[in-house]
Amino acid sequence: MPFTDIAVAIQISFTYFTIIYLTGLGGLFSERSGIVNIGLEGLMIIGTVTGAFGARFFTDTVGLGTVWGPILGLLFGALCGAIFASVHAVATITFRVDHIVSGVVINLVAIGLARFLSYAFFNGQSTQSDPGGPHLARLDVPGLSSLPGGLDRAFERLSPMVVVAALMVIPVWYSLYRTRWGLRLRSCGENPEATRSLGVSVPRYRYQGVLLSGAFAGLSGAFLAAEVIGSWREGQTLGLGFIALAALIISNWNPIRLMFFAWLFGFAVAIPLRLQDAPVISLLPEQFIRMIPYVVTIVAIAGFVGRVRPPAAAGRAYEGGGGT
Amino acid sequence: MATEGLAPPIAVTRTRPAWLESFAGQLLALLASFGIALLAGSLLIVAYGENPIDVYTSIFDASLGSADGIGYVLAIATPLIFAALAVSVCFKGGLFNIGVEGQYLVAMITATVAELNLDFLPGPLLVPAVLIAAMIGGMIWAAVPGILKVRTGAHEVVTTIMMNGIAISLVGWALNGPLHQNDAPEGAFVDLRTNVFPAKGLAGDLGAMFGVTPGAHLSWLLFLAIVAAIVVWFLIRRTRLGYEARAVGSSPGSARAGGVSIGATQLRLFLISGALAGLIGMQLILADRGYLPLNYVVGLGFTGILVAFLGQNNPIGIVFAAIVWAILSRGEVALQVSSQVPREFIIVLQGLLILTVVITYQIAKRRLAARQLQRAGLAGELEDSDAPDESAGPRGPEGSGSETFEPADEKRA
Repeated sequence: MPFTDIAVAIQISFTYFTIIYLTGLGGLFSERSGIVNIGLEGLMIIGTVTGAFGARFFTDTVGLGTVWGPILGLLFGALCGAIFASVHAVATITFRVDHIVSGVVINLVAIGLARFLSYAFFNGQSTQSDPGGPHLARLDVPGLSSLPGGLDRAFERLSPMVVVAALMVIPVWYSLYRTRWGLRLRSCGENPEATRSLGVSVPRYRYQGVLLSGAFAGLSGAFLAAEVIGSWREGQTLGLGFIALAALIISNWNPIRLMFFAWLFGFAVAIPLRLQDAPVISLLPEQFIRMIPYVVTIVAIAGFVGRVRPPAAAGRAYEGGGGT
Repeated sequence: MATEGLAPPIAVTRTRPAWLESFAGQLLALLASFGIALLAGSLLIVAYGENPIDVYTSIFDASLGSADGIGYVLAIATPLIFAALAVSVCFKGGLFNIGVEGQYLVAMITATVAELNLDFLPGPLLVPAVLIAAMIGGMIWAAVPGILKVRTGAHEVVTTIMMNGIAISLVGWALNGPLHQNDAPEGAFVDLRTNVFPAKGLAGDLGAMFGVTPGAHLSWLLFLAIVAAIVVWFLIRRTRLGYEARAVGSSPGSARAGGVSIGATQLRLFLISGALAGLIGMQLILADRGYLPLNYVVGLGFTGILVAFLGQNNPIGIVFAAIVWAILSRGEVALQVSSQVPREFIIVLQGLLILTVVITYQIAKRRLAARQLQRAGLAGELEDSDAPDESAGPRGPEGSGSETFEPADEKRA
């Protein structure tokens, strides 16, 4: 019995892992290129509303069926996230507005814009869409889903996106650390002046970084709304964008460590949902468990346990070479 | 940009005073950005098949067209003034307090605890005690990132974001646990909230004095906010701490060389900021509701950052910026009643406004700095540089979170 509960909690943690990891990867590309992005939450919000709409639109209205419809819905969310992130890119890169201010604006505008879009998308409903939207067929992980003792539950009925997110580490790691593009992107975040002296356009790479962050966060939001919940609802991101930011920081801006912390924080989110009666945990109010990701990150950033180091030039306006 | 017309020929040595040029430049930048935002908003309104002038007129009528409307606007502006002041105090010292949000949530808890446990005090003692409890709550929550910043170099943006996350859960826990109401009749359905505060411990309604409906919940907290703005102005402009804060904010290296203790200054700024943040929630719990509900207003701390920018971190500017913001917020009501445009348009308009303001200020500041340099005979390659300007925003997070301050870093920032 407790095993089943743990297994289900793990299954839920995979879902939250997907959300946190995808959004965290978005933050990774942006911050590695030197643009601090605290607007991840806002980018996710845009992803939720456009993703929920996209899934329904491509599946029912366009009639693409339950495979391509939801997939295009997810991609639509990613596209809209990237479009919205271009606001952050233009403000911080072209106009050199402070990154934090721009990020706060992104988060604030996203709430209003989401309602505005929802009003247009869902027949005048500005804070939610009808439940039961189309989603991808659930997946049982082969092999692992036949584990004994109830543990199989952890690997049953997962969204295929969980697997996609987990595999995403390979192209992300490869592109960042084994390609010329990745080297240049990272050097823009470490020393833009030196990068420019090598004839690389710093603004161009930073634009790419920020647009990628919008695409990943938008994809994550679309997954949350269309795949996990099945509809759009205001406030459904629940600060997960900030938890993703926390995971990114504590993982030292590294895509592989980010995987672990995204899962760990996802598990922390899942505990109150499923393991509230387990020993020890039942003694703690659920709100205290929700604090775990934030407390862990503060402890890490303060250097009590190891030391994290952000990209050296992140947050700093790049003054050289006006044009792109 | 628009300041071009004011520029005297470079050859002329007698120039307008710098403050006048700076003021005129800022005013023009502000007007230009308002124009751009309203114009962009008009496009959206036209897309909804409405006349922009009608829509803007109805927003104006709902907010400033009547005594009630003005009352609502001032009541909405009250917490925003506290929030923006809290943000601006830290800005002055080059610190980014994103944690105003969490600080006011915690302050609402401490204020509620004081309100419910000190109810034996007479009103004139209870209310100040509650306000002090709120300020202490905000200060405690601001002290954590402040101390971490000074002691370990942990970047305040990151730590305050995390403290916000903790604060949200803390309020949820308090309302579900220790502060959960027990004054409702058995079986009655009430929203999740604390016990109702004693009437003597509330911020009295001022609306009647000016012919404003009690529904606006206009209270003397507005005057407290204005007093706070004056105090902050005095603090920044006329005290030693203010001088040191401005020195640290514009050039930490020189400040340290000049004997200013950067850490002590930053910690003090954080504590003052937290105390101001603590007062944000008072409009809600002492004037609007009379108890702490779970569906409290969220995001005031973040809005405060935007209002602070709109007011250019100037305490007096902040009061006006908060009122402008409140006028737009109040306009939602008008849209709901009299047009096809959804009320959410207002938030989009506010976002457009802040974006254009931030960008035009940035451009104007560069132009101004370039012109001043030019006049000083340093024309040419420096046209893009960003001269320290205390009226401008903060420097932003300085590169590495693991160092406190590096003079070399600041020169480029």
